[in-house]
Amino acid sequence: MAEMPAPNPQRIVLPPHRERARRPRTVRLREWVRRNLFHSRSGSVLTIITAALLGLLVYGVVYFVFVDANWRVITDNRWLLFAGGYPMDQEWRLWFSVGFVFLLIGLAYGTWASLGRRDHLFIVLASGFVILLLAHGGAAIWSTLWYLIAVALLYAGYAITIRIPRDAGPARTAQQRVVAGLMIAALPIVLIALLAFGGARPRELDGFVLNLVLAPVGIAGGLVIAIPLALGRASRLKAISWTCTTYIEVVRGAPLLGWLFVALFILDDVIGGELIVRAMVVLAVFTAAYMAEYIRGALQALPFGQYEAAHAVGLNQVQTTQLIIMPQALRISIPPMVGQAISIWKDTTLVSVILPLRELKGNADSAIAQFEFTPDRIEAYVFVAVVFWVVAFIMSRISQRVEGSLGIGER
Amino acid sequence: MTTEPATMPERNLESADDIIIAEGVDKWFGDFQALDNVSMRIKEHEIVVVLGPSGSGKSTFIRCLNRLEEHDKGRIVIDGIEMNDDVRNLNAIRSEVGMVFQQFNLFPHLSVMNNITLGPRKVRRMPKLDADALAMQLLERVGIPEQAEKYPSQLSGGQQQRVAIARALAMQPKIMLFDEPTSALDPEMIKEVLDVMQELARSGMTMIVVTHEMGFAREVADRLMFFDEGALVEEGTPQHFFENPQEDRTKLFLSQIL
Repeated sequence: MAEMPAPNPQRIVLPPHRERARRPRTVRLREWVRRNLFHSRSGSVLTIITAALLGLLVYGVVYFVFVDANWRVITDNRWLLFAGGYPMDQEWRLWFSVGFVFLLIGLAYGTWASLGRRDHLFIVLASGFVILLLAHGGAAIWSTLWYLIAVALLYAGYAITIRIPRDAGPARTAQQRVVAGLMIAALPIVLIALLAFGGARPRELDGFVLNLVLAPVGIAGGLVIAIPLALGRASRLKAISWTCTTYIEVVRGAPLLGWLFVALFILDDVIGGELIVRAMVVLAVFTAAYMAEYIRGALQALPFGQYEAAHAVGLNQVQTTQLIIMPQALRISIPPMVGQAISIWKDTTLVSVILPLRELKGNADSAIAQFEFTPDRIEAYVFVAVVFWVVAFIMSRISQRVEGSLGIGER
Repeated sequence: MTTEPATMPERNLESADDIIIAEGVDKWFGDFQALDNVSMRIKEHEIVVVLGPSGSGKSTFIRCLNRLEEHDKGRIVIDGIEMNDDVRNLNAIRSEVGMVFQQFNLFPHLSVMNNITLGPRKVRRMPKLDADALAMQLLERVGIPEQAEKYPSQLSGGQQQRVAIARALAMQPKIMLFDEPTSALDPEMIKEVLDVMQELARSGMTMIVVTHEMGFAREVADRLMFFDEGALVEEGTPQHFFENPQEDRTKLFLSQIL
């Protein structure tokens, strides 16, 4: 990596305040409170009102979580929410996939970033949440063990790659290639692990597992379609650019829900096939339209001199696009792309609204449809919301790291 | 700029062949005529400096020489290869003609090393080790071997332009085109780039340089060309230009910049 960023000048310009440093902590705290919270009459009033509201909110949340809520709607329906109709005796396939993905995250973090204190804290908290969920009621000892192995794999992968020195060299290049290759291969590997060689049938992908399969397929498939779409729209050949523009405008012109209806009713006659495959196609096609526009924006943002320099060096059109233009365009478009990815992640819940596919939110509906859990719908939905937030947060964090580690070559 | 008198014993321009031939070249941007019946011949190893006010077509002309712009009329022949729609001809020409831009146009996502080796590896299919060795050699030549692993954004303007020169040289061209190579540089960095260009000139490279650096034109150029309103108005030796210009437009231009 490059040199350390220059320290914030404001921090070094100020000399240490000796007088303040000598005063005891309680005095400093009192001082801080007075200055920031009670510096004027209106300020004091605002502070008191805000504190009261915050207190009420915290009290409400704590009371709900620890006293009022009946979390048995979650723990008793663990399997239903997690994997639903996936054959229980094939559970190891699910954990194998989780472990593989965790290992990859560890490898990638060790290669391009590093785990900070906040990351460790997040992993511990999230793991506590998962283990609480798995171990509550004591039934799922093995699942807990599987999960712990997965976390161990994450740290093992991290420990391996973080040791390789970052200064450029053939070892570093090889490392990056291997990890990047594994990441590209991850989705097929997971799908094979879940489905092939006596695994589940596609329609048995269910519950949270279904969200976890649909979103990456939609995102990866969308990206694969989006790149030629963006290039096509920017093409000088009218027929190509017109076709791509039409695709983008038509697909963006209707909501995802509408396209899922198309998948359910119309695609059945046209292409048939498994419902889940049709849902995947719709998600990818839908995502691609948005991603293509982000990439096109990035293409237009690139200075024309980049094309000229590439041609002057002797690169042909394909080489120029592949080696010079696309790498830069994709990097510029990472932030909106991640936004789109998080959006499609949450939109996977739409699948259960109209299709007989049951993902996490659909199975939460099933859970509270049971007589004994009908009063517990808030618990069920809060749980679903938290799970979706956690994954979206992970995506957002990882994308920040990606931006950070790619930032070095920035203009 | 102080330099020793340009002694170039290996350069015998009298007997050299014409490496660039332009005959009656026209270029239009819509209704605007950027080049108007430009004809010239440039010999191998010759150093030509192209002068002219902005919008005079001087940049457009050298950009036609490696087909970053297509000329509309007339004929351009580079080292015996006719510039036409034939892609093979174009590729052959582009591998003989290196270009250095005003804005450097380095590839910001690639290290200095990869900026230089990209062309040789992808176009000439040179093995990586050979390309790396060549790149280091060129970085030595432009005086910044220690910057090999940095990214363009980490370099100063002068260093970036020297990398750009190394990148163009890596394709082992016979002709180098410079499109105002020092115009985007801070004053204190101009000399380091001009020094590299002067060294290149001494080595026998054929060079066409669009520049406003009159010191360079006076000391390094074999021939000066003055463009105005798309036409080649006057050409001659530096001595001719600075002591005895013939055309009124040339005189006016020189009086404005000298």
